[in-house]
Amino acid sequence: MVSPHATRYWHEHSGTHKRKIVNKPESGHNGGQTGTAAQGEFDIEFKGVSVRFGAMAALGETTFSVRRGEFVSIVGPSGCGKSTLLNLLAGTLAPASGHVLYRGRRVDGPNSDVGYITQKNYCLPWRNVQDNVALPLEFRGWSRSQITHRVREVLDQVGLTGFERSYASQLSGGMLQRVMIARTLAYGPSTFLMDEPFGSLDAQLRLRMHAEVLRLWQTTGATFLFVTHDLQEAITLSDRVIVMSSRPGTPKLILDIDLPRPRDVVELQGEPKFGAYFKTLWNELDGAKI
Amino acid sequence: MAQKSNFTFRPWRGLVVPQLLLLCACLAIWQIGADTFGTAFWTSSPSAVFEALMTWYRSGLLWSDVRLTLAAAFLGFFLGSIAGGLAGFILGWVRWLGDLLEPFILAYYTLPKIALAPLFVLWFGIGLLNKVMFSAMLVSFMVFITTYQGVRQVDRDLVTNARLLGASRPQIWTKIAIPFSAVWIFTGLRIGLPYALIGAIVGEFVASSAGVGYRIKEATSFFDTAAVFAGLVVLMAISATLLTILKISERRVLRWQNAGPQQPAPAE
Repeated sequence: MVSPHATRYWHEHSGTHKRKIVNKPESGHNGGQTGTAAQGEFDIEFKGVSVRFGAMAALGETTFSVRRGEFVSIVGPSGCGKSTLLNLLAGTLAPASGHVLYRGRRVDGPNSDVGYITQKNYCLPWRNVQDNVALPLEFRGWSRSQITHRVREVLDQVGLTGFERSYASQLSGGMLQRVMIARTLAYGPSTFLMDEPFGSLDAQLRLRMHAEVLRLWQTTGATFLFVTHDLQEAITLSDRVIVMSSRPGTPKLILDIDLPRPRDVVELQGEPKFGAYFKTLWNELDGAKI
Repeated sequence: MAQKSNFTFRPWRGLVVPQLLLLCACLAIWQIGADTFGTAFWTSSPSAVFEALMTWYRSGLLWSDVRLTLAAAFLGFFLGSIAGGLAGFILGWVRWLGDLLEPFILAYYTLPKIALAPLFVLWFGIGLLNKVMFSAMLVSFMVFITTYQGVRQVDRDLVTNARLLGASRPQIWTKIAIPFSAVWIFTGLRIGLPYALIGAIVGEFVASSAGVGYRIKEATSFFDTAAVFAGLVVLMAISATLLTILKISERRVLRWQNAGPQQPAPAE
């Protein structure tokens, strides 16, 4: 149901039309979206969800929602179930209790309306860059010419023009991550799930990828749920940051990040508020470890 | 892509000359040894083998024999690969089925399959069908076992990821599982290919009236060592040709494996 809508949406937005940036006076506003969507305000809803792996409780009872077009990050100690939340939403994992709603619909199988990007790269080694990016479009039965056109467009967007015929083994970590982003971008999902996507990149490249993600968020109008252990990353990108307690994790703090958009990843670090947010999050996390 | 060839490792390029020299030396030792020690009756000699080949060729039987053996081997290879590949895929993909049948497969694996040759005569007669079926049986097992293992190693995360990207079940097979196991499938084909010839030859040994295998057996019964070696030479030539064809197609399909090292960033 998402594909025709989402692609059309993308084409409208990939040109000059950009996400309207309301300077976010109060949190609680709908991320600058013009609320014409019929399906309701929330894209993602966790309702009393918990997960067990055998005897181990991986995720304590968790309830929170993400508004359409919002950028939410999840931070927390390792093993607290951050990635579990994303897996629930992607439909690769079933909760032990409660339920997960995506756009008001219960998730009960692989959810191909979302784009899932992890640290692991899922490039098929026998396909070159352009054919890897074409994969989800082939799955959706697009025509050859549509695919070619679209692939060129998204590769240009992530700055991989010139690498169309390279294989995964010939690319660096940062470029592979961009292939994964391009592949997800290609089919225009309405929600991006990112699980420490830049964990393996060096600091400099990380900052550049942050700028790219912000640009992506702005141009697509998509909802982002972003898992990280990097507090600066979380503050830089998000509207809200959720801090999880240690295992079995539950949200113990939801912090609104009231920083002006559009954001400059470097300038932002000098904002006095940035430091304050960092401190708040840090203290909260530190408490979780003890 | 001009730079790619610089990096591709081709060890055989510089070795052709020494290898040819080695071959000549072996032939010379063989010839001289046979002449000096008078062992030509048992070992024959290169000149006698050449002579036998020429006789075979002039009799007009060489091509018909080769054609017959090749037909049996080729059909057997074809049928065996399809049967083995299919079975390997199904048992590799449906885990519980594979686990269920594993002990039976192992039992079959340990069986010296050549021992089945007489049984095949009983089942399929002494014509071409017998050789085709026997060689198919040998090939199918080789292709089966590698395909089975290859499919079992398909990265399940990759499959999950593909489902999230919107893949249907058939698409997971055609776009993920089969290409993923292509390396193993080709290994199976490469191992299976000589077995196709073995099957055809053994079939001809057991019961036949023509073919390279029959010619070798016939020559042995006449103590015609030169003709036996001539048969072996022909077999080697056939199998080397087939293997080369297979390797070329393999290189084409698995081209991605030979992709060169990291490319320089394009000018921004």
